Amino acid sequence: MMTFRKLFLVGFVLLLTIVAGCGDKTSADGGQVFTAASAKNTDSKINVQLLKLLVEDRTDHEIDIVEDLPASPQIFAGFERDEFDFASLFSGEVYNNYFDDVEYSTDPDKTLKQAQKFFGEEYDIKWYDPLGYVNNYSIAAKRKFLQKNDVNTLTELGEYADSLTLGTDNAWIERDNDGYKGFKKTYGYEFDDARGMDVALMYEGIDTGELDVVTVYTVDPQLKEYDLKVLEDTKNFFPPYEASLVAANDVIDEYGEINDILQSLVDVVSTEEMTNLIYQVDIEKREVMEVAKEFLQEKGMLD
Amino acid sequence: MTLFQEYITYWSEDYTSILSYMYEHIIIALTVITLSVLFTVPLAIFMTKMKNELVKTIIFNIANVFQTIPTIALLAIVIPLLGIGFVPAVVALFLYSLLPLLRNTYAGMNSVDSEIIEAAKGMGYGTVQRLFKIELPVALPYVMSGIRVSSVYIISWTTLAALIGAGGLGDLILAGIGYNDTFMIFTGTFIAIIIAILLDVILGKVEKVIAYS
Repeated sequence: MMTFRKLFLVGFVLLLTIVAGCGDKTSADGGQVFTAASAKNTDSKINVQLLKLLVEDRTDHEIDIVEDLPASPQIFAGFERDEFDFASLFSGEVYNNYFDDVEYSTDPDKTLKQAQKFFGEEYDIKWYDPLGYVNNYSIAAKRKFLQKNDVNTLTELGEYADSLTLGTDNAWIERDNDGYKGFKKTYGYEFDDARGMDVALMYEGIDTGELDVVTVYTVDPQLKEYDLKVLEDTKNFFPPYEASLVAANDVIDEYGEINDILQSLVDVVSTEEMTNLIYQVDIEKREVMEVAKEFLQEKGMLD
Repeated sequence: MTLFQEYITYWSEDYTSILSYMYEHIIIALTVITLSVLFTVPLAIFMTKMKNELVKTIIFNIANVFQTIPTIALLAIVIPLLGIGFVPAVVALFLYSLLPLLRNTYAGMNSVDSEIIEAAKGMGYGTVQRLFKIELPVALPYVMSGIRVSSVYIISWTTLAALIGAGGLGDLILAGIGYNDTFMIFTGTFIAIIIAILLDVILGKVEKVIAYS
């Protein structure tokens, strides 16, 4: 009986410690511990890592990273509950069913301005200018197939659409403006079959020949790995996706040094550089932290 | 506009796609349930008759292993072998459903009091007669509850079929997560729950019909 009570007490104390640990934390150097959020895509993980490395190098603060969130709605929910202080997000998300009065546009600057204004007001965050690279959504197919039939654009692909199966993430089929519905309207054709699935498994599907066309991000290293080619978006259908770092207003108001670091990360990564970084992580299986550190050292931003 | 009215509008605009997700879901789940009941129940009955403990342990462990493979890994393994869509989804879910069904049926059959079996032997019942006249009717409530529990699991697991392009309500839920649409998430979840409850009720009725016949 005694042992049971002891066990119970130990368990209770442990539980209390864990719960207490969830409150405000202090870093080893006496600064704050912040939280940065990233979705599943590798470029977002690299972006928050860049921020973490610089903040921990130049200030006393620390940043914990929460990775692999399913999509942007979960990140915004985290900002709303004050769980996240920073995140990496795309301008094109502003068209993702958040706001009724946003005006759909494929112009990068207008999209960015709208993202900064709408998300900034709604979630009390600062949406910095983009990191520099563009990661558009687009449609790709096997290079061999495209060369054989001499197809280079999405318009030309229409001729073969009846016999093609499209693989995409589960949300794209349901999205209005910039999803499959809008695509059908803009290009005037639809594929024989369109299937939603997990993005990682989608690439398996096109590799085994189960799928003929897939929706991709233009910086995906799998394009290179599976020899896929992005089709030219002749009708300018896909919205621009420029990645920005985002911060909760109350954090950067109080910690100006962090605001400076966030500003210094504007326009530092070109599309080519980002493709290369992602390739190192996804295909060469290197750690995000190492890759990000090397990049900052090359740029002379970190010793 | 109230939330309720908005939700009604959502249904009236999207009901064709909602119903097709629901249809896909039911077809996948029922196929899996049928196949796994047809395979597992006879296997479990056969296993209760087996004297060799080692073979039993091996079978249970195989079923155990399938249950413990992370879903996303199992789906990734299934794709190169069977492609994407309906067939690989059914195969993956079938492998997952083996363990709960096997365990429950086996435990149900084992719960039959050995004295009853001895009495039946004494009355001159043969093995087959004993199985159908005594053991199965006595074990029926346990076996059925195993089938019911597993069926509810399978309805819920079938949402994973959306990850390999087989559609179903998981498609609606994942689309809602990515597209920031709580109506979609709610509808997908709600319909899955309703299907699971209805199926449980139907199987309960089936059990009664069998028991009284």
